[in-house]
Order: sequence, then C-alpha cells, then structure tokens
Amino acid sequence: MRWLAQRLGVIDPSRLLRASAALTLAALALMVWSMLQPTPLPVMLAMTVGQALGTLAFALYGYVVIADVWRGRRARRARRASDAGTGGGDAGEAAR
Amino acid sequence: MATWIFSDPFRALGLWTAAAAAIVLLWYLARRPAPTRATKLALLLGIGVLPIATAGTGNLAGYEATKERPFCSACHVMTPYGDDAASAASRSLAARHSRNAAFGHESCYTCHADYGMFGTVATKLGGLRHVYEYARRYRSMPVDEFLATIEIRRPFPNATCIRCHSTVNPGWTAIGDHASALAEVRAGTVACASEGCHGPAHPFSKEARKARKARAGAGEAAP
Repeated sequence: MRWLAQRLGVIDPSRLLRASAALTLAALALMVWSMLQPTPLPVMLAMTVGQALGTLAFALYGYVVIADVWRGRRARRARRASDAGTGGGDAGEAAR
Repeated sequence: MATWIFSDPFRALGLWTAAAAAIVLLWYLARRPAPTRATKLALLLGIGVLPIATAGTGNLAGYEATKERPFCSACHVMTPYGDDAASAASRSLAARHSRNAAFGHESCYTCHADYGMFGTVATKLGGLRHVYEYARRYRSMPVDEFLATIEIRRPFPNATCIRCHSTVNPGWTAIGDHASALAEVRAGTVACASEGCHGPAHPFSKEARKARKARAGAGEAAP
C-alpha cells in the first residue's frame, strides 16, 4: 500500500485527476451501452469492467483529495512549528 | 421516448445522471482548470456522486434485463427456446405458460429461477455458469447439434409448478392421475414436466435428442 502511495505521490495530482476523469468516462460509456442495449455482452461488461473502472477512478480521486488534505495539514503544522521557533506570529511581531 | 422514460424510470435516471457526469468530466478534461476546492467539488459530482447513481440504477436495470426472455435467447443456441416460448401458435408447455401474463416476457426466469434454491443471487451465479459453458463449448456449435446434445442440468423441480398449481384445489385433485400420484408429485419422484404427464416444456429439443439416439442406435445395429 505504501509502495503504491509512493508511486502515486510522484505523479502530478492534476494528471491523476485527468486519468480519473477519463476512466470514469470509459466506465460511464459501458454502463450507458448496457442500458441502451441490454444483451449479455454489454450487461456483463458494465457489471464487471465498468464497475472496476469506475471504482478505480473514484479511488484515484479519493487518493488525490486525501493526499491534498494531508499535505495541507503537514504544511500548516510546519508553519506553526517554524512560527513557534522564531518567537511566533502576532505575539512575536508585537514584542518587536 | 416519453413512454419509454415513464415505463422504465430507473433506466432514464441512469442515463440522465450519466449525461450530467459526462458534461462535468468533459468540461474538466477540455478546460483543465486548477485543482481548487471548487474544481474538486465539481469532480466529486462527476467522478463520485453521479456515476455512483448511474451504476446503481444501471445495475438495477441490468438485473431486470437479465430476467427478460430476449436476454435469455440472445445466444444463438437459445434462440429456438425463445422463439417457441414467444410463438402464439406453439402448444408447448413453455409457450402456454409464456402467454400467461404472470410469466409474460420473464417466462424463462419465472420457471428456471429456483435452480439454485437460494433465490436471485444463486440464479444469477448459475447464469454465469451458462455464460462460461457457452463461451467454452457452445459458442460455435450449430443449433441442431446443440439441441441434440443439451440436457437440463438437474431435473426440473415440481416445486416450481406447485408454486402456482398448489395440488390442493378440488379441480386439480379431481383428475384421476393427479389424485393417484399426489404423494409422488409432491415428493418430486414423478415429474410434472415429463412425457406421459404434461410433456417436456421444450419438446422440440427432446425430438432432436431422440432422433440423435435413433441414429446412434441404427449405427450400432448396423454390422
């Protein structure tokens, strides 16, 4: 899992989101095909490949959002730590 | 169009949500906006909420479609079964039941649904076995050969017939053969859909098998 996160971490989030959007479009195409032509092949493809593509796309989107939240938290924590180290924020400014 | 939407609102909802998701996604792919919070919220709709709604309604529509007779007879080897069941002129057990509104377009499913004994899910899993067998053995088999080869996996259970023909109504028990074989019919040792009783449900396939056996017998008898 960590290996996967590291591999994904080096990819630009916008690129991941574009891949996620493209995968969702492919999944939607399969699902729409199965609804317009409910014969065995489209229905089975929609319920297997379509579902898998949609799930993968949503997982990629979820990864990008969660990684972004974590990155924001880490940045805030680092800023707070550096502020505390230099006498900190408004209090430090006022003291000067 | 309007009739179709009202007759199948799930499918219509699925198509609308798919269209809405596609608009959001195509906008994102064409414009490539910065991944701000607003963009991510739009993508939550386009990648999450709307496609999940499409998948939910699409799966439901798919499950419903798998119960329809045209779905069952979509594979070429099943076409004669579907054609016979849909024929107004046919006197087969399958056709006579298909003319009943309670069976209608779902007549295959209504009679064959209880193979697995555990309801819809088991029936669908059994259907996957049909797909596997079709892909492996019957995909390129001529229909005539298929009809002469295919056999029902397990004897057709009387319990399926008894769901409607309860075996307790006076009209049913008044028939001598029913009364004399009541215990056997209920126990399933005498099949309702057998020759000598109500005949096989798809008699044309049995004729093909008989002809094949006769040919094989003649071949063995010949020196």
